[in-house]
Amino acid sequence: MKKNRTRKNRLLAIFIIGLICVTTFAAIGCGKSTEDTKDKKVIESVDDIEGTRIGVQSGTTGAIYAEDYEGDEAGTIVERYNKGADAIQSLKLNKIDCVIIDELPALEYVARNPELAILDEEFTLEEYAMCIDKSSTALKLQINDALKELRDNGIYDQIVDYYINNEDGSVEKYVPKDVSRDNGTLIVATNAAFPPYEFYSEGKVTGLDMDLSQAVCDILGMKLQIEDMEFDSIIVAVTSGKADVGVAGMTVTEDRLKNIDFTDSYTTSKQVIVVNTGSTQDIETLSFVEKFKQNFIDDNRYEYLLTGFRNTIIITIGAVIIGIILGFLIAMVRTTHDRIGGLTIINAICRVYVTIIRGTPAMVQLLIMFYIILAAVNNKIVVAVIAFGLNSAAYVSEIVRSGIMAVDPGQMEAGQSLGMTYNMTMIRVILPQAVKNILPALCNELISLIKETSISGYIGLIDLTKGADIIRSNTYEATMPLLAIALIYLAIVMILTGFVHKLEKRLRNNER
Amino acid sequence: MSILEINKLKKSFDGIEVLKDISLKVKEGEVVSIIGPSGSGKSTLLRCATLLEKMDEGSLLYCDEVAVKDVGGATIYAPKNELRHIKEYFGLVFQNYNLFPHLSVMKNICDAPISVQKRDKEEVKQEAERLLEKMGLEDKKEAYPFQLSGGQRQRVAIARALAMNPKMLFFDEPTSALDPELTQEVLKVLKDLAKDKMTMVIVTHEIEFARNISDRVIFMDGGVIIEEGTPSEVIENPSNERTKSFLTKMKV
Ligand SMILES: Nc1ncnc2c1ncn2[C@@H]1O[C@H](COP(=O)(O)OP(=O)(O)OP(=O)(O)O)[C@@H](O)[C@H]1O
Ligand SMILES: [Mg+2]
Repeated sequence: MKKNRTRKNRLLAIFIIGLICVTTFAAIGCGKSTEDTKDKKVIESVDDIEGTRIGVQSGTTGAIYAEDYEGDEAGTIVERYNKGADAIQSLKLNKIDCVIIDELPALEYVARNPELAILDEEFTLEEYAMCIDKSSTALKLQINDALKELRDNGIYDQIVDYYINNEDGSVEKYVPKDVSRDNGTLIVATNAAFPPYEFYSEGKVTGLDMDLSQAVCDILGMKLQIEDMEFDSIIVAVTSGKADVGVAGMTVTEDRLKNIDFTDSYTTSKQVIVVNTGSTQDIETLSFVEKFKQNFIDDNRYEYLLTGFRNTIIITIGAVIIGIILGFLIAMVRTTHDRIGGLTIINAICRVYVTIIRGTPAMVQLLIMFYIILAAVNNKIVVAVIAFGLNSAAYVSEIVRSGIMAVDPGQMEAGQSLGMTYNMTMIRVILPQAVKNILPALCNELISLIKETSISGYIGLIDLTKGADIIRSNTYEATMPLLAIALIYLAIVMILTGFVHKLEKRLRNNER
Repeated sequence: MSILEINKLKKSFDGIEVLKDISLKVKEGEVVSIIGPSGSGKSTLLRCATLLEKMDEGSLLYCDEVAVKDVGGATIYAPKNELRHIKEYFGLVFQNYNLFPHLSVMKNICDAPISVQKRDKEEVKQEAERLLEKMGLEDKKEAYPFQLSGGQRQRVAIARALAMNPKMLFFDEPTSALDPELTQEVLKVLKDLAKDKMTMVIVTHEIEFARNISDRVIFMDGGVIIEEGTPSEVIENPSNERTKSFLTKMKV
């Protein structure tokens, strides 16, 4: 009992030390960001961006503009981010010198971050449209008609005004119409880190594009289903049939037209350059409590972490169950083949499987599962559970195999000398001993699996990491959400580690 | 009737002939000891006889039922279900016991009779208790193998083999992992079994014990049976030079 208490205290101590370390890091990091402006290039016009570090959102037209400068003699560097908000955060930390991004999001960012400014010069005007697969001509025509109708009846203007010209709050948000939705579901792919076009608010993806999509669905008599994903995944999602249309402030470009079709354009925008003026005088620095409130309490943002936590746990548990069942089966096939021959073909399949899984990154496997193998499955949690389960199975099978190999071969002979068959001896004698030997290793596999699931966000699933990402892109504040999830992961892992230690001790006491 | 009958058994490992033309018959109630230098093939003979190792040539019968048939330079094994039945005729006790470490003494003994022979649980348990009493281990029923001494473990292993009600038992150096003291308690069990007319084939280095307990002693060397007969013939008055020199070495 007493021992138990000291262990708990020790765990707590480690946890607190971890917390202190991380916050100190963060404090140092923050301090630097506001002061360190020495080697910063001052950008006043488009001509000045040569030789600077330009941040863009990967796959956007801003990125295409920036490409023209990349690798020039002045040494321009282009850094591509998955989200516009990430690029802005980097700019705030002076990791880059400017960000090329669409005008309206830029206005939002500058409004919320006083040290940022938009340069007066602008790139050319561009057209936003919904992207749609080349084969879906009928749907395209329907959407075009609906867009025209919305322009004619003034709803389009209402939606735009609500998000853009609504300082006095006089414009009403568009409310879904009460119509029959018998014409199926319209799956809309977007990247919800691009205000005011699309962003998370109160746990839902909303924004100009989304309200417009809703209005289109109301006319077409369809249900709207929004899928949040990385911006550069949207076109793939539409062409692979994961989504019907992409609505994400997407500009019509020559390159994109090679792969995909577009509806009529529904708005225009332009790219602008955002810079960090470093003028921090009008920024009221928020206290810890205020920051905490902004990141977790306002707009119920903690709910993203709760949802994320729940999904992370569901994915992990589901994957562990698949991993253990399949892993044991593979291990049995392989050891049976090694020991008494037979099962040649199944054994070869298992070997290839283990080799492929262990030889490729989990992230690649997840994307392949989502976009290719399970392209028809729309439940992302199911996809993640299967992808991580199959991944884990390969590792579990090797652990189990080594566990079986480590059992004294005399045990198999003893079983057989008592008249047991091979399978019977395996199940009654060998496996129980093997499991005992490998339990700690299996738990460690579980621990690394939990951390591995943090890549689930790449298929637009809100796991713990993605939850923090969403908060981050709403509050433009990296420290709090990232620290929060780091601590949550740490806590889960430490609880499990403590459990493994206990288990190991129990097993050791039970040794022969 | 012979319980065990081996004819012209041959066995090679990687092209090296370990058993060369071994024939052996064991009658009901007979106790046969096999002695011989290390590497002479004693264990391999037992492993072939207990079907743990595949024979290259020769035939193998238990109670006149054919387990392995010789077909001129190759062997044919009886179908699985017949082999399963034949395996019930014998039991095997290993040098290093091979008890199941994750099961209690009681479970070690009862598991196979219940799960393999499908015998009644209560009946098996009662028999196990009787056997443990015979082995002087009635207080170790719920112990786990790691809590037992080597001698106790070997006695549990013997009880486990006996619980299957075999017609005969094979022992491969049952005492060579044990201290002299513990050796005696195991040998005493074997003597009791011999008194009860249990048919046994015992590979052993305990010459004195072999002389006392055996009806017949077999001396093996280089994969062949060099000499066989009563203890007084083979151990006291060996006729073969190799037997003599082996016995002299063992006495030192
Ligand atoms: N699985 C195997 N693979 C290859 N060679 C083997 C194998 N088993 C036994 N041998 C060889 O066969 C020969 C006979 O071995 P065996 O174990 O039968 O001898 P033994 O008489 O029991 O010796 P000991 O008294 O040391 O136990 C030895 O030369 C041994 O190296
Ligand atoms: Mg041997």
